[in-house]
Amino acid sequence: MNRVFYGTVLLLFSFLLLVSLVVEREPIEQSKGYVLEQGTQETGAVNLVTALYLAYRAYDTLGETIVLIGAVTGVLVLVGKHT
Amino acid sequence: MKKTNILDVVSRKLSPFILLFGIYLVTFGHISPGGGFQGGVALASGLLLILLAQGPAVLVQYFPLGRIAKAEVAGYGLFLLAGLAGFLLGAGFLSPLFPPPGTIFILNIVIGAKVGAGITLICWYLFHEMEEQE
Repeated sequence: MNRVFYGTVLLLFSFLLLVSLVVEREPIEQSKGYVLEQGTQETGAVNLVTALYLAYRAYDTLGETIVLIGAVTGVLVLVGKHT
Repeated sequence: MKKTNILDVVSRKLSPFILLFGIYLVTFGHISPGGGFQGGVALASGLLLILLAQGPAVLVQYFPLGRIAKAEVAGYGLFLLAGLAGFLLGAGFLSPLFPPPGTIFILNIVIGAKVGAGITLICWYLFHEMEEQE
């Protein structure tokens, strides 16, 4: 009974995966075109990578700094006892 | 491990240029390829060259460990402040305060200092642990 259940679930998932692989959709290019056209004008950064990660997605960058500070804290807790 | 003259001279001459290149990467992050994270890692590599080739005493003499740790924390605090400052203008969190390149420039410098200090601290403590085990 268990085997039948798991088999059915796996079949269902594999079917969903197959559909998502076979059915092709147009890639969403709206945001790409917007950044390419308006990015430098809106943020003042010629380097569009910087324009993305410090202007459009600065919130994401804040999260990355939290990750780094977490890494430093972890190293200090595990290793930095004696110094 | 024996310290040779080559290592001594090369590290002393090279590390200032690596630090300068890191500062260049950070401050020109909005114009040319580079930015806070890459420039910060370049800064950290300059500091680590001093640490590995000259020893911890020389690094502490110029960049005390307490100040590096403070730079790490201050970077995070300044980023949060820059985000909260957007509320002063009646705009959202992390909305630009200064005319266009200004906010990105400041955030790049903050992130550069923070990443450089963070990587240096991590490597410092890991090397210290490695030396203790030997």
